[in-house]
Amino acid sequence: MTDDPDHPEHDEHDELDQPDELRDQVRAADPASSLAPADPTWVARLLEDTMADELTDESRADGTHHRSRLTWLVAAAAAVLMATGVTFALVQEDDAGPASAGDQPAPAATQTVTDLTVSGDAASAKCLVPASAPQVVTAQTLVFDGTVESISGNTVTLAPTRFYTGEETDLVTVQAPSEDMQFLLSAVTFREGERYLVAATDGRVTLCGFSDVYSDELAGIYEDAFSG
Amino acid sequence: MTDGRRERFEELVPAILEPLRRFLARRTDAATADDVLADTLLVCWRRIDEVPDEALPWAYGVARLCLANAERSGRRQRRVAARIATVDPPATASGDPDPAVDAVREAIAALPDADAELLRFWAWEQLSVSDIAVVLDVTPNAVSIRLHRAREKLRDELRKIPGAAGHDQVTERRTP
Repeated sequence: MTDDPDHPEHDEHDELDQPDELRDQVRAADPASSLAPADPTWVARLLEDTMADELTDESRADGTHHRSRLTWLVAAAAAVLMATGVTFALVQEDDAGPASAGDQPAPAATQTVTDLTVSGDAASAKCLVPASAPQVVTAQTLVFDGTVESISGNTVTLAPTRFYTGEETDLVTVQAPSEDMQFLLSAVTFREGERYLVAATDGRVTLCGFSDVYSDELAGIYEDAFSG
Repeated sequence: MTDGRRERFEELVPAILEPLRRFLARRTDAATADDVLADTLLVCWRRIDEVPDEALPWAYGVARLCLANAERSGRRQRRVAARIATVDPPATASGDPDPAVDAVREAIAALPDADAELLRFWAWEQLSVSDIAVVLDVTPNAVSIRLHRAREKLRDELRKIPGAAGHDQVTERRTP
């Protein structure tokens, strides 16, 4: 995208498009001249995240501006830095604390259900990449592969197909106060019928890339961590 | 349909990714650059049907708007974050002892934003006048006229700065 000889209609601009001393002088001060090429792994992840968007967010009911997951990682990291636990603490006051895994009565008589909550608690918002944080991966008390059966109000119901770790139940629900739910929905973007990997510790879903749309890469990480 | 989109997007990205990274590295801190790159790619993905054959100037135009959005909405957050963490400054050719380089940066910084941005697109992104017109969504003639003026202003600024003469000229010291 340098000087373009294919625009004869702009002959009068040719002078500006030609190399000249001032242009070279300014170019020598280019602060990006020493910028290293992007890490291919990072680029691959960025592109997958982008293409995972699938245009569905354009119909988001709340009409909020979409943030890519990368953005949310950054935002979550910023949230930790800024100690915005306060925001979420307000929400949690109304909620009488998170439920712990497995101790809730199942709504349907015969099915076993694990209830999870989402917390914006800064302490749980560790923004580490799963592949480079094995200690966080193995610290998960519940990890499963499942498909979203329904989303209603503040509850997402998933049908697990495989548990990597934790007590196996027929269904897993994720319940959260609405603002926390917003945070989760933005971070993970649960959609009915789609397959996810969900990780949780002590009844709380782990965000920041540990719970995500199913990918072989993330599944491989959990497979390695919990099999055998 | 999705496969077609993916294909087009995967064709597009190699042509724009590194130029966009450099574009952002020249204008903002590393964290914001990553963020805005993601936003820009998302717009390209969503609007893949609108991406012209000459994709890069169009993509610069998108990145420019995304950056403006990020600067607006992120200003307050970054101020808070900056108190805790050291925000990476824009990548600089660090260790460059050439006073001519410092002088050019100083001179550009002294120009009105619009003039500085024109010169950056012209000399750093190395865009032609007609490509700059696409990025800024104005006519090539307007770019031509403004660029002439911006160059004159830059020369004036450079004249005020000692050691800015020519990049061939080795200046041993800068007088304050």
